[in-house]
Amino acid sequence: MTSLLEVQNAGWRAGSVSVLDGVTFAVRSGELIALMGRNGSGKSTLLDLIAGLRRPTDGTIFLDGRPLDEWPRPAVARVVSHLPQMMRDNVACSAEQLVLMGRYPHAERWWESETDRELVEQAMSRCDCRQFQHRLVSTLSGGERQRVFLAACLAQEPRLLLLDEPATFLDIDQQLQCFSLLREEASRGTACLAVTHDINLALTFCARILVLADRGIAIDVPSANALDEPRWLQLFSTRLDVAVTPTGGRWVWYQ
Amino acid sequence: MTDAARARAWIAGCAVAFALAAVTLPLIGPAPLDPARIWAREEPDWSILIHLRLSRTLLGLFGGAALGLAGSLFQSMLREALATPYTLGVSTGASLGAVAALAMGWHLVAGVSAVWFGALAGAALVLVIVVGVAAPNRNVSVFGLLLAGIACNSVCAALILLIHGLAGMSESFAIARWLIGSLDAVDYLPLTIYIGTVVALALAIMHRARQWNLLAVSEAWAATRGTRVTRLLFGGYASGSILAATTVALTGPIGFIGLVVPHLVRTRVGVDDRVVMPCAFLMGGVLLAACDALGRVVLAPAEVPAGAITALIGGPYLVWLIRHRTA
Repeated sequence: MTSLLEVQNAGWRAGSVSVLDGVTFAVRSGELIALMGRNGSGKSTLLDLIAGLRRPTDGTIFLDGRPLDEWPRPAVARVVSHLPQMMRDNVACSAEQLVLMGRYPHAERWWESETDRELVEQAMSRCDCRQFQHRLVSTLSGGERQRVFLAACLAQEPRLLLLDEPATFLDIDQQLQCFSLLREEASRGTACLAVTHDINLALTFCARILVLADRGIAIDVPSANALDEPRWLQLFSTRLDVAVTPTGGRWVWYQ
Repeated sequence: MTDAARARAWIAGCAVAFALAAVTLPLIGPAPLDPARIWAREEPDWSILIHLRLSRTLLGLFGGAALGLAGSLFQSMLREALATPYTLGVSTGASLGAVAALAMGWHLVAGVSAVWFGALAGAALVLVIVVGVAAPNRNVSVFGLLLAGIACNSVCAALILLIHGLAGMSESFAIARWLIGSLDAVDYLPLTIYIGTVVALALAIMHRARQWNLLAVSEAWAATRGTRVTRLLFGGYASGSILAATTVALTGPIGFIGLVVPHLVRTRVGVDDRVVMPCAFLMGGVLLAACDALGRVVLAPAEVPAGAITALIGGPYLVWLIRHRTA
């Protein structure tokens, strides 16, 4: 089976500063992957390259085996959805209108169809934000707004979901809900690449962990055996250690 | 009622107001017109109606429509509530060209009004400069457009003041008068060309209403929902600017329509540009043509320029709107 996404030797430079260099990995449908790394390690840049918001200065990104450059923009949007890290908080439309915008790549007509509306309702219910569908996005709290944007991404029905820190602003229960939702999406066949800083969240929900360090992929392991050899935790901090929980699971803790 | 039905109702209501304005406003003016005499095509009522009032009303309707639409476009595109059709410099370039023509005392260039000619030349010049400055390596951002546009705007405004200061007495008076913005009867040939341009650009802009909605959230949001942002920004900038600049060429820089009308419309219909844009287009026309009709009679036989009336009504109205919006 060919990979949905293949990043081959991708690099990105801003002037003389190299941010990413020789990044290579592949993502198959149905995978939920945590993309991790310290601040400034290039996580958002990598997602931007895959979303087509920036063009790699080296290497190639293949979507469905075809170079991203050759894809028409609207066709990319029917396959890939991107949840940006920081959204403006003064968006003037209602939550429902924002989620309806997620249907743009699929809806040819001037007004959204009944099917579009049903998909929007489902997406909002799944993200636990249907109760404020009529509120203005600008009046929502940070966490509520984040769920509305996530619903818009789901309504887009992507096959590849790129999420730049989807758990930002979310309370602990909503963070768990969010990652449960991503796991559910993955089980339906959507590939999800989610940036997160929470190692335990990543280990619990994601099947695979990618760590960016020193401009490239430093670690690419399945979560199941990620802690067999825990030296990679040093990439985040020297103060991390592995403990065993009362239920026998392993847990990363710090002091 | 579904969103689509509600939108259609608003647009239809505004279209009725537009049509009513086109029929009734030409009857208003210092010389009373008798509908019966017009029906019988008796002079001078018939000539006053056709050659003075009707062409002037049509100019007001489509000029106000162009400004209302260009204002709502720039407010969405730049995500800036205070954006006007004049924000991005092209219209000020048009004013500069017109003022230069007035200062030189030119009347006709190649058989065309020198003011129109100067205005269009000035607009074209600024358009080229802003695109050149804002778009290094064929990539353009909202921020780049704003920066280049506002810079050109200030330079042109300063040059207008300079030319105004250096011009002779009678030219200086003509410039001051022109800068207020007013409507006048226009021959039907240029008027038809103008209306055709406005309608074509308006349809092209409104056709992309869903894309303006996306862009109003953010450029990255629009791009990852499948729009071509650079092309969209160039198209919006050029079409909005041409709408505003051609209007400035015919009427002078009439203020406040482009700022107030879109905000007024949004308080009633919401922020979806699929509704806001057609309504701002139609209501902008109604408002400008009505302000002009008011200016014809309020101090008759003297005329108050439409630009003065829109500013006198628009300024206080905007303050009222902002104070009541947060409540």
